[in-house]
Amino acid sequence: MEALVKAAEWFIGLFIQGGQTFSGLVVGIIPLLIVLMTFVNALIALIGTDKIDAVGKLAAREGILYYPIRYMVLPFLAVFFLTNPMAYTMGRFLPEKYKPAFYDSAVSMVHPPLGVFPHVNPGEYFVWAGIANGITEAGYNVGDLAIRYLLVGFVVILLRGIVTERISAIMWKREEQPEASAV
Amino acid sequence: MKRINKLLETIGRGVGRVVGAMYQAGRESIDQVITNVLPFMAFISLIIGIILATGVGDWIANYLSPLAASLLGLVVMSIIIAIPVLSPLLGPGAVIAQIIGTLLGTQFATGAIPAQYALPALFAINPQVGCDFIPVGLALGEAEPETVEVGVPAVLFSRFVTGPVSVVLAYLASFGMYQ
Repeated sequence: MEALVKAAEWFIGLFIQGGQTFSGLVVGIIPLLIVLMTFVNALIALIGTDKIDAVGKLAAREGILYYPIRYMVLPFLAVFFLTNPMAYTMGRFLPEKYKPAFYDSAVSMVHPPLGVFPHVNPGEYFVWAGIANGITEAGYNVGDLAIRYLLVGFVVILLRGIVTERISAIMWKREEQPEASAV
Repeated sequence: MKRINKLLETIGRGVGRVVGAMYQAGRESIDQVITNVLPFMAFISLIIGIILATGVGDWIANYLSPLAASLLGLVVMSIIIAIPVLSPLLGPGAVIAQIIGTLLGTQFATGAIPAQYALPALFAINPQVGCDFIPVGLALGEAEPETVEVGVPAVLFSRFVTGPVSVVLAYLASFGMYQ
C-alpha cells in the first residue's frame, strides 16, 4: 500500500513540475507576445504588403551592389511583412539562378527576429525562447541577446545567399556540360 | 459646411480603417497563440517537467552540458545537424531545434552552461532551418522544376559550410555579453 502511494505521488510529481513550467511560460511570455503581435500585425495591415514588391524588383539586378539588397534587405522585409511561409513567394521577382540562394537566405531569417518581432514565426517561437528563457532564469537581461541574434542573423543570411548562389552556379554548369558534349 | 462634412467623413473613414485593422490584428494574434503557441508550450512543459522531475536533467548537466559549453562542442553539434542527409529529416516544424533549444535552456538556467554561449548555441541548434521545405519554398517563389533540381542539393551543401561558420560568427559577436 505504502509503495503504491509512493508510486502515485512520484507519477503526479512529474506533472506538477510540468504544470509549474507551463504556467510560468504562459504568464511570462503570452501576454507580451499577444500585444506585440497585435501591434505589428495592425501596422502591416495599414502599410500594406504590396509595398515591398518594388524591393523585389530592385533585388533582381546583377552586380555586387545588389547582393546586400537580395540577401539581406529583401529576405528580412519578406519575412517581416509576409511571415513564414509566404515570405518565400518574393522569390518570384528574381531570375531562376538566384532563387535557391534567396530561399536559403529568407528561410534562415525566420528565427533571428523572434526576440524582437515574434509575429514572424510564432509557431516556432521556442527555437529562440527555449534558450532565452534559460538566460532569463539565470538572471540576465535577454534584450542584449535578442538584438545580437538579429544582427548576426543578417550577416549569416548574406553569407548563405552568396555561398548558395556560388554552389548552385557550379552545379548548373556541371549539368549543362554532359549535355553539351553529347551533341 | 460641405468642407466640414468632407473633413468629418475623411476622419471617420481613417479611424474606422485603423480600428478595424487593429481589431483584426488582435483576432489574428489570439488565433496564432491558441493554434500554434499554446500547444507547443504544453508539449515543451511536459518534456521539461519530466526531465526535471526524473533526474534526467542532472544526467544532462553532468555529461552533455560540458560538450555544449565550448565553441568546439557547438561547432561539432552544428556540423552533425547540417549533414545533408540528416538536415531535411530534422527540419519539420523546427521541432528538433525547439526541443534541443529548450533542453539547453534548462542548462543555461542552472548555470551548467555559461550564459556567454547563448548566442552561438542559438545558431548551433539551427543549421537545418527550412531544409525540409526547399521544394515547396522554391515552388512558392515560382521556380522552374530544373531550379528545384539544382536548388535542393545546393542549399543542403551550402548549410554544411555555413552552419558551422554561423556558430563561429555568433561566438565572435557575443564578446562582451553576460560576462
